[in-house]
Amino acid sequence: MSEPLLSVDNLKTQFFTEDGTVRAVDGISFDVYEGEIVGLVGESGAGKSVATSSILRLVDSPGEIVGGEITFKGETIFGLEEGDDGEPRPRDDMLSEKEMRRRIRGREIAIIFQDPMESLNPVFTVGGQLREFIEINRDLSGEEAEEEAIDMLREVGIPAPESRYDEYPHQFSGGMRQRVLIAMALACQPDLIIADEPTTALDVTVEGQILEMVTELQEKYDTSFIWVTHDMSVVAEICDRVNVMYLGEIIEHAEVDDLFYETKHPYTQALLDSMPRPDKTVHELDPIKGVMPEAIDPPSGCRFHSRCPHAREVCREVHPEQRDLADEGEPTHSAACVMYDAFEVGYEESRPIETEATGGFSAGLTETGDGE
Amino acid sequence: MSGRDRERGEVDEGESLLEVRNLCKYFDNDGGLFGGMTLDREFPFVSRNPSTVRAVEDVSFDIKKGETLGLVGESGCGKSTLARTVLRLLDPTSGSVDFKGEDLATISGEPLRRKRQDMQMIFQDPQSSLDPRMKVGPIVEEPMRAHGMLDEEGREARAKELLEKVGLDPQHYNRYPHAFSGGQRQRVNLARALSVNPDFIVCDEPVSALDVSIQAQVLNTMQDLQDEFDLTYLFIAHDLSVIRHISDRVAVMYLGQMVELADKEELFENPQHPYTQALLDAIPVPDPRSGGRTNLLTGDVPSPIDPPSGCRFRTRCPVLIQPDEFDMSDGEWSAVVEFQRAVKRREFETTNRREVRQQYFEEAPTGDAGTLIDDALSHISDEEWAEAEALLTESFADASVCATDEPAYEVSPNLGDGRHYAACHRVRDAAVASGAAADLDAPGSGPVEELGADD
Repeated sequence: MSEPLLSVDNLKTQFFTEDGTVRAVDGISFDVYEGEIVGLVGESGAGKSVATSSILRLVDSPGEIVGGEITFKGETIFGLEEGDDGEPRPRDDMLSEKEMRRRIRGREIAIIFQDPMESLNPVFTVGGQLREFIEINRDLSGEEAEEEAIDMLREVGIPAPESRYDEYPHQFSGGMRQRVLIAMALACQPDLIIADEPTTALDVTVEGQILEMVTELQEKYDTSFIWVTHDMSVVAEICDRVNVMYLGEIIEHAEVDDLFYETKHPYTQALLDSMPRPDKTVHELDPIKGVMPEAIDPPSGCRFHSRCPHAREVCREVHPEQRDLADEGEPTHSAACVMYDAFEVGYEESRPIETEATGGFSAGLTETGDGE
Repeated sequence: MSGRDRERGEVDEGESLLEVRNLCKYFDNDGGLFGGMTLDREFPFVSRNPSTVRAVEDVSFDIKKGETLGLVGESGCGKSTLARTVLRLLDPTSGSVDFKGEDLATISGEPLRRKRQDMQMIFQDPQSSLDPRMKVGPIVEEPMRAHGMLDEEGREARAKELLEKVGLDPQHYNRYPHAFSGGQRQRVNLARALSVNPDFIVCDEPVSALDVSIQAQVLNTMQDLQDEFDLTYLFIAHDLSVIRHISDRVAVMYLGQMVELADKEELFENPQHPYTQALLDAIPVPDPRSGGRTNLLTGDVPSPIDPPSGCRFRTRCPVLIQPDEFDMSDGEWSAVVEFQRAVKRREFETTNRREVRQQYFEEAPTGDAGTLIDDALSHISDEEWAEAEALLTESFADASVCATDEPAYEVSPNLGDGRHYAACHRVRDAAVASGAAADLDAPGSGPVEELGADD
């Protein structure tokens, strides 16, 4: 395969709080190639949004990117080297803040956020905001930019775009606002769009419309996407490759079909099992035990062992790194679970442990007491 | 639980616990000094146009004791307003709500307050429905205190017992809500609702704000509690997967009206209303080989201030019925409908007659319809969009039976023996009852006799 468009290597982002260091993103690596949609899935608190903010260097104090490397089209968005005093310092070839602002954000990498109401300014017209964005980023005159803005609105399916151009965000429905943001993201024809749960707040019917539109536009403009979501159904529908995150780490990576049909990691499996299905009646759901632990104090060894149905002694001690488990010649399918022989840590001989999440202060239903 | 100082009309399993009849809830904007006022740039600068949002209109249904009725619909279709009106948190504009044989719409004050002991509600946002300055124990005890149940010690004991029942640790009686995760907070809400031992709980999107894995835990707990305490749920959600998992019967709402109501299996396997079909088609399936969604609806939900006449879904309906005066083939008719909607939405830019014709009419209708289309195309090439729109809407969309008559039919179910209500004119031939009889208020309605052949 050719060079990846975006390459993230061992990225670490931490938040330094009064209670301690929160390791929100703890050494994740993934690539995005030209023209593909890469999924980033996980529950709330898995570190998905922090990961995407890090790619754009939008992490604010008390958060900080503390390690790793991000390369985009051969340029270094983030990279560290060891300084004279032994402390890490930014490398010389790392893009400056000004370059990031003027060249990368919006122009080369655009981002679409979850809540369309908060991303649009309520006191300016929708058209005006879109026009301004195009004017600044593409060096067009006001009139040309306005024409372009109306074209973009039509492209994303806003009815009667000439008259809606002068309306305010509150006059648009949720789905239409999200369309406007997609128009804004596409307006500068970036190479990469990061979509951070863009359809989560929408109804299924509208979500369907938006996903269909994104697929069409993606083919037309050949844009790459990083699609952040917690919804496995959305992943199944539009992603080409998927990274599953748990507590700041990527625990499984595969092509979408392999992820659903040859699931390797117990967490991914549990996530799939816990979903109610629309196409059949399921009598008892099989939820994941317990809740995700705090990233401030993650469990030792495998981070999922406290909720894992297959946990053994060794899981508590060994921290698994992702390894490729696919057969020779097959596309990469990596997982971080010592259950597989490739890890050679003696999982088979190890003693099963009681999953901690089943007792005490947990969300599992306790079977005690009867009657009213 | 014997120290109860009120009488309870007991309802047997399978009997109607709640009967809602022709319930309407309107909101108007002409209250207050500046109500309904709009500002203008031209004389007279200020105008008053009072309007009414018809949030819930003419809704009838029953809920039997011990069952879960699922209520689905897109945002803004009036689900929550309906739930609140049923509980008398909002005053209904008209209609009746019989709860255990007493009409909630007519009582007020102390009798209503006492009634509330039997009806509780769980809200969507577990964060904002718990007072952050109260500890969890007192939160759970509060409804009991309001209804004078038990003494101080008894309440504490019951609160602890309930916390355990919903899957929390009774030792967390003294914690504040912020110490709990979203799923756990929703469990506190459950415990609070259960504390007064209600018969009926309205759950307004109780799991929408939770992660999937947590969602499953809470849903399972809710089912266990239903069995244990013999609860009746009205379960509102926009997620059809969740509805399919938890409901016994399902009602589908669109723009303030109920469009279909049937047993769960029947509704999911044999949906009759095109809106229900569209909703079902729109659900994403967690399976990359499923081929994605098909037949997506276009357009947005119309405004409930001025809803479409007849069937409210007709402006987006993919299978609008052809008016009797035309005799077009299905292909021609759907091209006409698509064209009319495209003109209304100003979907295309070109005013070139030939290009437009090519884009929308592979099979051009002939006869009267053909003439009308020609006229509309002339208007468009003269850039008279409004005229073209008016002509098309008047002669095609508004002439359909869907626009002139309000549908209400009952069909015989394929699965199970529950009643199947569908508000769509397309089922009129297969219907066993129509109009008022199909409303679920037919007094003493027994099993419906099979008339008319099934399709």
